[in-house]
Amino acid sequence: MKTVVCIKQVLQLGDEVEFTDDGLDVDPDYLDPALNEWDSFATEEALQLRERLGGEVVLVTCGSKASEAALRRCLAMGADRAIRIEGVDRDPFSVARALAEVVSAENADLVLCGVQSSDAVQAATGTALAELLDLPRAAVVTKVDYDAGARTAVVDRELEGGLVDRVEIDTPAVLTIQTGINEPRYANLRAIKQAEQVEIDVRNAAGGGAPAYRVRKMFVPDRGEGAEMIDGSPAEIAARIASIVKERLV
Amino acid sequence: METRETFAGLSTWQIALWYTLIVISTSIFAWGVIRLVIKYRRGRGSFPVDRPLHRAGRTAWIVFTHAWIKRRDGVAGLAHAMIFYGFVVLFIGTGILAFQDDFARPILGWDFWQGPFYLVYSLFLDVFGAFLIIGLVILGVKRARKPKRLDYTRVDGVTSRYARWRYKVGDWVFVDSLLFLGVTGFFLEALRIAETDPPFEKWSPVGWVVGQGLIAIGVDGETASAAHFRSWWVHGVAALTFVAAIPFTKAVHMMAAPASVATRNDRASKELVGLPPNAKPEEVGYGVVTDMTPAHLLQLDACTKCGKCHEACPATASGYPLSPRDLVLDLREQSEGALGIRGWLTVPPLFHSDENLLGNPIRPETVWSCMQCMACVEICPVGIEHVPIINNLRRRLVDKGEMDSQLQTTLETIYESGNSFGEPKRKRGRWAKELDFEVKDARKEPVDVLWFVGDFASLDPRNIRVTQALARILHHAGVDFGILYEGERNAGNDVRRVGEEGLFTDLAESNIEAISACEFSRILTSDPHSFNTLKNEYPALGGSWDVVHHSQFLLELFQSGALTAGRSLGRRVTYHDPCTLGRYNGVYDEPRALIAATGCELIEMQRVRDNSFCCGAGGGRIWMSELKAPDAPRPSESRMHEATALDRVSTFVVCCPKDVTMYEDAVKTSGHEGEIEVRELTELVLESLDFEPVALAATAD
Repeated sequence: MKTVVCIKQVLQLGDEVEFTDDGLDVDPDYLDPALNEWDSFATEEALQLRERLGGEVVLVTCGSKASEAALRRCLAMGADRAIRIEGVDRDPFSVARALAEVVSAENADLVLCGVQSSDAVQAATGTALAELLDLPRAAVVTKVDYDAGARTAVVDRELEGGLVDRVEIDTPAVLTIQTGINEPRYANLRAIKQAEQVEIDVRNAAGGGAPAYRVRKMFVPDRGEGAEMIDGSPAEIAARIASIVKERLV
Repeated sequence: METRETFAGLSTWQIALWYTLIVISTSIFAWGVIRLVIKYRRGRGSFPVDRPLHRAGRTAWIVFTHAWIKRRDGVAGLAHAMIFYGFVVLFIGTGILAFQDDFARPILGWDFWQGPFYLVYSLFLDVFGAFLIIGLVILGVKRARKPKRLDYTRVDGVTSRYARWRYKVGDWVFVDSLLFLGVTGFFLEALRIAETDPPFEKWSPVGWVVGQGLIAIGVDGETASAAHFRSWWVHGVAALTFVAAIPFTKAVHMMAAPASVATRNDRASKELVGLPPNAKPEEVGYGVVTDMTPAHLLQLDACTKCGKCHEACPATASGYPLSPRDLVLDLREQSEGALGIRGWLTVPPLFHSDENLLGNPIRPETVWSCMQCMACVEICPVGIEHVPIINNLRRRLVDKGEMDSQLQTTLETIYESGNSFGEPKRKRGRWAKELDFEVKDARKEPVDVLWFVGDFASLDPRNIRVTQALARILHHAGVDFGILYEGERNAGNDVRRVGEEGLFTDLAESNIEAISACEFSRILTSDPHSFNTLKNEYPALGGSWDVVHHSQFLLELFQSGALTAGRSLGRRVTYHDPCTLGRYNGVYDEPRALIAATGCELIEMQRVRDNSFCCGAGGGRIWMSELKAPDAPRPSESRMHEATALDRVSTFVVCCPKDVTMYEDAVKTSGHEGEIEVRELTELVLESLDFEPVALAATAD
């Protein structure tokens, strides 16, 4: 059983923010790096599958040398090896393309991603990766029941309003893992320090393909006007809304 | 010439039998001692042997003065001293007699046990023999009154594998067998005196008085002689049995306790011992009994179940599933059942040497209940290091990731953001921006005093007010000081006490790197926890500086005249000694002197100085979910009850940021709102100073 887990080092924002001079990004001084929360759940799920079925857990990330801290933390949790891809644009399509190249060569039985990253909040990378690998996918997974013999998995997907969608999926497949699926184990610092001895396989992105988007400007939106609360009977409220709409349309 | 015959009325074969019994008894004793040594050597590492003279001197002082035994129970201390010195003198007396009978007379032809020497010898042994009996009676009476701390009922409701009633039986057998030996010894002496009534035996006053009584009721001459013969054997066999039983019974503390005091770590608790470099998981903390150090295994046997730790422990007092005494007894049962005589003889309850220390009967919750406040270590008369032992048990749990999820999140937060609040690094120095003067960045310019602020004092809104007050005072006094701003991370004191040794090292190393890059003459801390680890634990990692707590520093400013109290506050206050400042570092007087300098009247609570009662936040407990019994008051609430019971005390003075938080909360939850207010010492000082601080532009809260 080989599971590939795609992880990301996110940059967390405090309540104070400054932008770089070109206005395209947040000043790095105002950001604290961390392992994306969803990815620790994905890693834990892979580790639990390995505990049950044996095999290997392989980590893949896109990012600079600094992002190895996130890999080390997942290695300290117990993953077997780690690959870092350098020189990848930050948009989900570029990331998915770079990941697809590495992941396809791994011939994994299962590919796990977090549902989304806490800094970009696109929830796109996992799905795009599945498309590029031409694999079945399930998003927002809260339970994985993997059947190694049948090469299928029954997974629960979290829907709106507390509904659960239980689907059977052929594997290999890409699953995007939701928080709360398990209790990620603690990566103690002794293990993290020892993970620093582990050699990380660094690759360069093949490149090619246009990014999904380009950042034009990053800014704090102007504070809007206060909302107006409308009291009264339904008829009065409707009348007031109608007059507002008329006013604004003019 | 005044003397007596040692083996009066014994035939040669009876004397031979006696010496055979001595050999048997001594052999059993020696075998028992060897078994104990073998048990301790199964532990990891070796006994500490550094500074042998210091260790010997300290041990002699503690043992002969009873300095530790007499604390917080003078009567028990005095009674124990009577037993101790009675036993020691009788032991030496027996040794002198053996030297005379078995060496001096047969080999050297030297008879010294006669005349004036014999008379003085007799007097000495009689008086100390009486002390032994009096001491035993006092302790027996105390024990018979069933004091709470000698009730061995477990606090965690778990059933021990080794039934606790056996301990009570053991205690009584120990006291009564010594008493039996003392009484039969005197009876024997009296019968001997009654036989011929030699006039010089007045030098054995107790024996002589009893002897006269025997004569008066007609027990003399042949009758006394026959009774003496029988009593001699009863007393002799009982004494040899006692000797043989020492290594296997409560009497073992006569050897184990001094050995424990001799091998203990002077700096236990305040400087925890680090892990070996590149430690493997099985080398991290204590998982099985053979992970324990020989010194810790020895300490378990030294315990006399006196219950002083049980009485001092804030967790025990607040209904947590922890009693330091229970823990020590449980661990002792495990080590004895796995490695000791009990294991060797396969007497149940057995434990296996590869059996997890935690599970049955010690639960992980027990280990997590500890506040690492050091109350137990500080009061233990035999030098047991409960805090480091518990810390080692925690280390293994943390390494395996078995901990409270709230604690795990906190540790992850500290690792990622450098503080326990999960605030961005930049926010650490924000409090300084709200002042009307600039606080130097010690990373950018030299300062005289480098102020290590700490997490709580930097980031908690209530404590920021105290921090700003301290900055104002320093500024007013003309102190050249600076802070590290975002270069400072959590000092790691409590992270280490939680058992996350790797994270502690990581934090300490990065702080040492940041501090070492600055130019300064001394370090000021406004948090006793940071104070402890910077002062006591950073040196081992390469950071040795002159570290002072703000109570010490402020007092210096008063003494040098840099600060003068402008107004006498005249409040009636009480003061809570923080564990890490008081017990850990012995800083008791400076905060009190500061309180006096502000013109406040200090009314002391019952539990002060070394007996101070932990607020409940220590040892990382502030980061964990509640474990206490639902109906028990929190340690901080019980402290509030104690403070408000004092006569007309308006202010509860603390000098630890965690105490500010804990006690302000406790004032409300204990139902004493409006009766007493919590003030940080710094705030009191600021209030007393003769300058009007400019109102802060935008203080939190």
